[in-house]
Amino acid sequence: MSKFLRENVFNILIFLLLSIQAFMYYYDNRPSSKIFSQKSMSVENFSSIVLGKSGLTKIGSEKLNKIDEDNFFLQGKSYLENNEYKIYGEDISINLNEDISHSKKSVQVINSMGTLDAKGFRNIDSEGKIYFDGIVIFKSHD
Amino acid sequence: MVLLSLKVMIKVIFFIFSLFLYSNAYSESTVKAGDSLIWDSENQSYTATGSVEFSNDTFIAFSEKMIAKYVEQGGKELFTVVELFKNVRIELKDEIFQGDYAIYTRDDNTIKLTGDVSIQSPTRLLTGHELIADIDNNKRILNSANDESLVEVLLENNANN
Repeated sequence: MSKFLRENVFNILIFLLLSIQAFMYYYDNRPSSKIFSQKSMSVENFSSIVLGKSGLTKIGSEKLNKIDEDNFFLQGKSYLENNEYKIYGEDISINLNEDISHSKKSVQVINSMGTLDAKGFRNIDSEGKIYFDGIVIFKSHD
Repeated sequence: MVLLSLKVMIKVIFFIFSLFLYSNAYSESTVKAGDSLIWDSENQSYTATGSVEFSNDTFIAFSEKMIAKYVEQGGKELFTVVELFKNVRIELKDEIFQGDYAIYTRDDNTIKLTGDVSIQSPTRLLTGHELIADIDNNKRILNSANDESLVEVLLENNANN
């Protein structure tokens, strides 16, 4: 047995190295289903209607990027409009599953009471609350 | 002919006057917040924090925090109650009210301040625990904290009030 091993040690070694290489080649070239499912999609000058807690909301942007099934990124000048508010901003992220939209860029909101300007917002539709960050100016018409 | 044109002119003037009255009835209120503002549509309120400024056609108010409640009337939303917290300062014509907490009620157009309250005007300084300012009737009621404490009044020599 030891004689056999001594005579074929190099053959066994070469065989093992080739097997490892074949194994690596196979896994390196195998198409990943994960990457495929996360493949993003983008549409320019997009507008659509989504159903949320505030009812039907019309959304639109210069460019829509679909991140996954629930998450969208409205790139460039974007808007969200429904019968409660009109939000005009830039680079707005939307999570349809959690009914949350947010942006860290300047935003203007118009509702039946007046007009609001802020540096960013976080809209939690399920709670009926919109949080505005930084200096906020709200002008209403009594 | 002259009478007819006069009647038309009166109607035009009345129409313009009505428009003026309508525009005044919906005068503007402004809320400024230094840190953040939350619009809570379920509880019908706005909560502002950080160097808050609230102004309407009657007064300007400053504080650290503000909660303004509103109601819907005829498709429009109106501020009904405005609460101000911490370092409250209200400027009403030539008077300055200061206190720890204030509540403005639109229905009776009154401001109630509590805490270390003061009223400052060009000719006098009044301090106490509670102030009720009736804006429509131009009345000010200043109360002390209890029977033992005092309302302090400082009058200038040339005071007319």
